[in-house]
Amino acid sequence: MEKKDIIQSFKDSLFTGLIALALFGPIVGLRTASKGEGLFITPQWGVVFLLVGLCILGRFLINLNSARKTEITFFSKFTSKFSAVTEDKAKHFAITAILFAVVFPFLPFTDRYFMDVAIMILTYIMLGWGLNIVVGLAGLLDLGYVAFYAVGAYSYALIATTFGWSFWICLPLAGLFAAFFGILLGFPVLRLRGDYLAIVTLGFGEIIRIILINWYEVTNGPDGITGIPRPSFFGLPFKRSPDEGEISFHLFFNLEYSTMHRIIFLYYLILVLALITNYFTLKIRKLPVGRAWEALREDEIACKSLGVNPTNTKLTAFAIGAMFGGFAGSFFATRQAFISPESFTFIESAIIVAIVVLGGMGSQTGVVLASIFLIGITEMFRDLEQYRMIAFGGAMVLIMVFKPKGILANRKPTILMHGDKK
Amino acid sequence: MSNLLSVENLTMKFGGLTAIDDLSFDAKNNQITSIIGPNGAGKTTVFNCLTGFYKPTNGQMFLHKEDSKISLRKYTDFKIAYVAKVARTFQNIRLFPAMSVLENLLVAQHNELMVASGYSLFGLLNLKSYKDKEQLAVDKAKYWLDIIGLTHRADDNAGDLPYGDQRKLEIVRAMCIEPRLLCLDEPAAGLNPKESAELNKLLKFIKTEKQTGILLIEHDMSVVMGISDHVVVLNYGKKIFEGTADQTKNSKEVIEAYLGVDE
Repeated sequence: MEKKDIIQSFKDSLFTGLIALALFGPIVGLRTASKGEGLFITPQWGVVFLLVGLCILGRFLINLNSARKTEITFFSKFTSKFSAVTEDKAKHFAITAILFAVVFPFLPFTDRYFMDVAIMILTYIMLGWGLNIVVGLAGLLDLGYVAFYAVGAYSYALIATTFGWSFWICLPLAGLFAAFFGILLGFPVLRLRGDYLAIVTLGFGEIIRIILINWYEVTNGPDGITGIPRPSFFGLPFKRSPDEGEISFHLFFNLEYSTMHRIIFLYYLILVLALITNYFTLKIRKLPVGRAWEALREDEIACKSLGVNPTNTKLTAFAIGAMFGGFAGSFFATRQAFISPESFTFIESAIIVAIVVLGGMGSQTGVVLASIFLIGITEMFRDLEQYRMIAFGGAMVLIMVFKPKGILANRKPTILMHGDKK
Repeated sequence: MSNLLSVENLTMKFGGLTAIDDLSFDAKNNQITSIIGPNGAGKTTVFNCLTGFYKPTNGQMFLHKEDSKISLRKYTDFKIAYVAKVARTFQNIRLFPAMSVLENLLVAQHNELMVASGYSLFGLLNLKSYKDKEQLAVDKAKYWLDIIGLTHRADDNAGDLPYGDQRKLEIVRAMCIEPRLLCLDEPAAGLNPKESAELNKLLKFIKTEKQTGILLIEHDMSVVMGISDHVVVLNYGKKIFEGTADQTKNSKEVIEAYLGVDE
C-alpha cells in the first residue's frame, strides 16, 4: 500500500471522527442530572473522546482493509463456507434441524427459559415463512404483516371466549378471518408497487391496531382480552385439579403434574404449525401459482403480456400469507391466554420483515437462521436491558455488511429439465 | 391468404399530441407484416393499442377467427393474451431474469397449468393428472428450446444468458401461449449480423410452421427486407406507404421520410 493511500484513509477517518464528535458530543457528552433543586448538566467528555477515538480507529482499519482489496478474513470466510455447506446439503441440514427441534425439549440443559425462547423463535419462524410468501415470492413489500397476526389472535380470542369452541375449531376460523383481511388489504393496493405499497401496508397495520384499541365493546380496548382458553391435548386439559368429570393430561398418562407439560405441548404445537407452513410454501412454490408469484416479482408487465392475471395472483399471495399470520396469531393468543393491542405494534412487523430480508428473500432456511440469530441475540443480551436493541441493530448491520443479499440468497429453480447435477 | 388482423381508423391521442392518426391496415395469416418508420413515428404506440396497454381514442381493431371476428378493444390487460391470444415481446427485453429459462416458458403456460392443477388444489394433493399436464408443458418448452438451441441452458437463470439468446427466449416464451398474432417490438435491436440471421430463420419457421401471423416493428432493414411479406410505413402517426418489401425500397415517399426532401 502506498503512503498516499495511508494519508488519504487517515484523513477520511479524521472526518469520520468529526461526524462522531458532532453526534456523540450532545448525545453522550451532556448528561442531565437532578441535584437538589432542578436539573444540572454534567459533562462526560472522557466517554465522548473514547467513543470518537473508537470510530476513528475503526474507520481507519476498515480503510486499510479495503485498500488491500482482500476480503475481511474471518467472518466472511466463515459465512461463505457456512452458506456453501447449507446450500449443498440443504436437505441434510433441514433434516438435522428438524430432528434437533423434535428432541430439543428433552435435552438435559433445556429448562423453562430455553423452552420459552424456543417457542418465541418458532413463532417468528412461522411468521417469517408466512411473510416470505408475500415479500420473498410475490415481491410485495408488506410492512403491516402484524395486522394479520393481530386479526388471527383476536379472532381466536373472541371466538374461543364467546362460544367456548376448542382450539382446533378456532384455529382454522382465525386463519380464514386473517385471509379475508388479507384480501381486504389486497384490493386497494393492487395497483401499488414498491415504496407506495410499503406505506399503505404500514398504514393498514396501524389502522388495525387503532381499531383494536378503540372498539371497546368488542375488543375490550387497551385492556385486552383475558381468560383465553388454553389448548388441550386432544381433549385432555393441562390442569393440576381438573373439573368434575374431566380427566387432565397428567392423570391420563399417570405422570406427576408439571407446568412443563403444557409448555412442551405448546412447543410441539408451534413446531407442527411452522412445519406445515414450510411444507405448504415449498409445495406451492412449485405449482403454477407459485411460479406466477415469482414472475410477478420479476416483471409485472411481462406477466400481463403472457396472460397471467395479476389481480388474482396478488390476492392469493396476500390471502395465503395472511392466513399463516392468522394461524400464528391464534397460537400466540392461546399461549399467552391474554392479548392486548400492545402486542401488535409496528416493531413486530419490522422484525418479521427484517427476518425475511436478512434471511435472503424467498429462502426458507434463511428465515430460520435469521430468526435464531436476531431473536437469539436479543435474548442473549437481555442483561443489557434497554441497550439490547443495540445488539439487535448490530446484528442486522453485520448481516447486511457481509451478506448484502441475505444469509442464504441462492434461489433454486422450481423445476429442472436436466435433473440435479450435484 | 385470409385476413388475420384488421386495424380500422385507429387514432391515439395523448393530450394534444396525436401519436397515431387514422391508421388502417391489414395483416394476414402466415405472413410477416412489418411496421417501419423513423423514430417517434408511433410504431410502439400501435403495439400498445393492439396488446391492450393503451385504450385507443378512436377506431377499431379486429382479430379474425375462422368465421367470426373479435374486437380487441373489448379486451384489456392480461386478457389480450389470455382470451384473444395476441402475444408480444418488448423493445427492452422483459424476461423474468432471476427465474430459470424453463420456468420462464412455464409461466407462459400459466393459464392451462392453473386449470390442470385445479387452481392449486390437485397440485397440492400431488394428483397424477396434474403431473402429466406439467410434463406436457415441459415437453412444449423443450420443443421450443430445441428450436433456438438453448436446451442445454434450460436450468440456468434467464438473466445469465447472452443478449441474443435472451431475445430469442423472449420470442419463444411468447410462442408458448400459442398466439394467433405475435407482435415483435424490435427483436433485432442489439443483435450482431449472425444473430440477426438466426432471428430471421426463427421468424420464418414460426410463419410457415405455426398458425401465427407476425407483426414486426424493426429498424434493421436487413431483417425487414429479408423476411417481410408486407410493409406498412408510418411517419408522424400517419401511414405514408403500404406494399411489399421491394415496392417499399423504391418508394419515393419512404425515402423522403427517412432521408428528408431536397429543398
